[in-house]
Amino acid sequence: MTYWRARTNTLVLLAGAALAGAVAARDAAWLDIAIAIVINALVALSVGLTFGQAGILSAAQGSFAAIGAYTTAILTLKLGWSPWLALPAAISLPAALGYGLARLVARLAPLAVALATLTLSAMVEIVLRSWDDLTGGYVGLAGIPTVLSGHPIAFYALAVGLLAIAVLVYENLMLSRFGRALTTIRADRARAMADGVAVPGLLSAAFALAAAMAGAGGWLYAHYFSYLSPGSLGTELSISVLLMMVVGGARTILGPVAGAVILGVLAQLLPAQEVQGLFYGGALIVILLVARNGLLGLVRREGAL
Amino acid sequence: MAYLAELAVRGVLLGAIYGLLALPMSLTFVTVGSIDFALGAYAVLAAAVGSTIGGVAGVAAGLGAALAAAAAMAAIFAGLKRVGVDEPITISLASFGLAVAIGSLILWVWGTRAFVLHSFDDVWVLLGIRVGPQSLINFAVSLLLLAVIHFLLYRTGLGRMMRAAAINPAGAELSGIPVTTLQTGTFVSGGLLGGIAGVLILFSAGLDFTAGLSLTLSGFGAAILFGAHGPLRAFLGGILMGVVEALSAGLASGAVSAMVPLVVIMVVLAAGTVGGVRFSGDRP
Amino acid sequence: MVKIATMVVAASLLTATMAHAQSPAAIKIGAVLSLSGPAAVFGLPERDAIEAVVEEINKTGGVNGRKIELVLHDDKTDPSEAVRGVTQVTRDGVVAIVGPSTGSGVLAAGPVAERLRVPLLAPAGTASITDKKNSFYPWVFRAAPSDQTDIRKILADMAKDGKRKVGVFYQEDAYGKVGLDYGQQIAKELGLQIVASVSAAYTATDLTAQATQLREAKPDAVFMQVSISALGASFNKAARQVGLEVPLYANAGLAQKSFLDAMGDSGNGVRVLSIGNLPYEPVEPETRLVALLKARGKTPQGWGELVGSNGLMAIVAAVKSVKGDLSGPAVRDALETICGFPTYSRGKGCFSKEVHDGWGEDVLVITEIDRGRLKTRP
Repeated sequence: MTYWRARTNTLVLLAGAALAGAVAARDAAWLDIAIAIVINALVALSVGLTFGQAGILSAAQGSFAAIGAYTTAILTLKLGWSPWLALPAAISLPAALGYGLARLVARLAPLAVALATLTLSAMVEIVLRSWDDLTGGYVGLAGIPTVLSGHPIAFYALAVGLLAIAVLVYENLMLSRFGRALTTIRADRARAMADGVAVPGLLSAAFALAAAMAGAGGWLYAHYFSYLSPGSLGTELSISVLLMMVVGGARTILGPVAGAVILGVLAQLLPAQEVQGLFYGGALIVILLVARNGLLGLVRREGAL
Repeated sequence: MAYLAELAVRGVLLGAIYGLLALPMSLTFVTVGSIDFALGAYAVLAAAVGSTIGGVAGVAAGLGAALAAAAAMAAIFAGLKRVGVDEPITISLASFGLAVAIGSLILWVWGTRAFVLHSFDDVWVLLGIRVGPQSLINFAVSLLLLAVIHFLLYRTGLGRMMRAAAINPAGAELSGIPVTTLQTGTFVSGGLLGGIAGVLILFSAGLDFTAGLSLTLSGFGAAILFGAHGPLRAFLGGILMGVVEALSAGLASGAVSAMVPLVVIMVVLAAGTVGGVRFSGDRP
Repeated sequence: MVKIATMVVAASLLTATMAHAQSPAAIKIGAVLSLSGPAAVFGLPERDAIEAVVEEINKTGGVNGRKIELVLHDDKTDPSEAVRGVTQVTRDGVVAIVGPSTGSGVLAAGPVAERLRVPLLAPAGTASITDKKNSFYPWVFRAAPSDQTDIRKILADMAKDGKRKVGVFYQEDAYGKVGLDYGQQIAKELGLQIVASVSAAYTATDLTAQATQLREAKPDAVFMQVSISALGASFNKAARQVGLEVPLYANAGLAQKSFLDAMGDSGNGVRVLSIGNLPYEPVEPETRLVALLKARGKTPQGWGELVGSNGLMAIVAAVKSVKGDLSGPAVRDALETICGFPTYSRGKGCFSKEVHDGWGEDVLVITEIDRGRLKTRP
């Protein structure tokens, strides 16, 4: 019982998701939106981990999701694998790439790292667009085998399950000595090095974990929407989840998830697509000025999680 | 050989615009330490307003609009500093928010149409290469602005204060230099320079609402190419980027020429010369 | 607990739908179109025409005595939103859907249409939407000429003028790249040769390098596989500047007012492929559509109105020929039997089991820009 008392975030998430699911289940359109929100939440969680805990602002999480999605799409569509077998691949390939990238840039200043990830994101998109034989190029991949098709509620439960596992792993990480080391790195890197923390290795591991989470989100996307194009998950998603993280609160574990829910619901209520950017940009600025630790940061004191 | 020379010349003329965008980018980077992601948006806004009104009045109105947008960014920056935020990442993030907001505003008001105006129909032939007068005007204007900024930075008291604020903000503040004012002024100058770039492009190739972010990244890539230390280096970086882009567009495929500025940025970033060696949360 | 709730919900939905179908109610037709976002420049005219035609049909007695009820959804030029739209309008009881407006929207919504058993009349040119290899092939019908047909028309016109060597400028996306590939296949058939092809991203600031590359290859004519007005106008400017002085063709994606405005006087003589010529030189039966639109205060924008109304008229023709209860599968089966049915565009619409591309070259015209208008070439 004390195990779960220390892991309240997972419990809160499960309870909230169950409630939301019960409400959304009445309407196929809202259930569809709920699934999209859970997928976004997974990717937002990944950027919350890298920025909120490790201090690395990654603008490439959407690309890791895209890599996970394309991996599973190619394995299931072109090689006939089962989606369940492709899941580990969809998680590990982005993780490996994330680890490699982080080792390259971890020692750079934060702004440089952020720009490096933005550049990587643009490059991934170009590769996806140009490698016609593998990725279908601009036209993308249609007809990806679906998972639990015809049972959207079951898919919602699966998505929530994966999100809950990600949150649980995140919580376990923060409760362990690695989590404490990450917090030290974020606060004072010199001190962490003095403490004997292998800074580049730990940062890269955290980054890899985050990339894995994003890859899982990509897997869910591919097998739900059944259609992938280079623009489906990419720079636009990377930027949206950054916003979700900032709005919800980067330092808290569930902050990005809350941000995903808020922005996902609000996007449905916005009148026109054209003003979405105005709204997102304005929201970002307002949050940075007024509630820098996001909405969840206002609700909970920093460090109370 | 003549083909290559022609491409190179076109590249230099194209690079003038990148150089022009790189100027404010390097100024902001040096004095504030962050990037104004909205620079491209200022350019597009100026072009949009300019194309609607047209003529000289349009140019003035366009520049005015860009300045207003940059003033908004300056206000946001001042606001952030007041609530105790001065991490470059957060400031850059805020500018990114403004960039997205301005882009969306442009889409909403003007739609997806092209912003392009006609300047000259005739073509001059220089050394066997056909050049439009507008490209030469672009180059001349950029060169002129480079000279002005260089003079300002290295020959005036204001420039001395800016350089002092860049090298040692705390020390400059103690010496009575109004650091925050200088920094906000830098943002506003970004609006002016970005607006000029936008108006020049309006009369050249034209652009539409999607151009903002890519202009910003081009300006940034140009600024860091030779080290974001000063306007001359930034401008040369722009010229080089233009030449490389023209060569790859003329010789290779679209995907390659799209990758080029990105690879350049990646290589320069990985070399670790951008941003110094301050880690997040590092001791002051 | 959840299972029981789901079953109750499903049962009540089923009863409601059945009850709905039994009353002598309106025929529900869905329209999932891009009313915002980049493709709105096509989606909005599509919607305007469909609404005008529906009003006209209802005024003159409806279909088999029943009125048409239009269920509209904005897909925001986003494939996931297109999927959501198809799901929602099907839930509202439509028997067929015009849309989605974009190729990627159709590819995303295809599997859903297959699962929900409702046919899509897509006004999109992307070839792969009617590829027989798609498992959802039976449920997707094309309401516009395909991109292949467009390019064939352009190249044929070039061949007619005695041009042999062709240069291509294309934008970097599916439309551009796939269009170039077709161009290469079709050119061979017609005895033409593509001597050079250059591309640019949407946001390219200067196209003189690309234009120079094309000029060096010495083509007899150049066609632009571009749908962004800014890019097309910019290329034209660059071409004139570097001395690429050969006939320039623009594909149908550029037959928009914003392209003509951006080109200005430098556009005179540029040839633009168009689907009909609704805004400038309509012929029968296009003139009737112009009248319907004007009566509702709308000005024709280009060809969006034609492909939108074609999709609707195909559904109307199919519905008319359904014997028995109206349903998605019934309309789908009927769609594969209609040919030469009344529409507002020139040319003939024709579907069969083997051919889901309803329209061909006879609905296309080559026009020429003349002082801001498109003049149909004889």
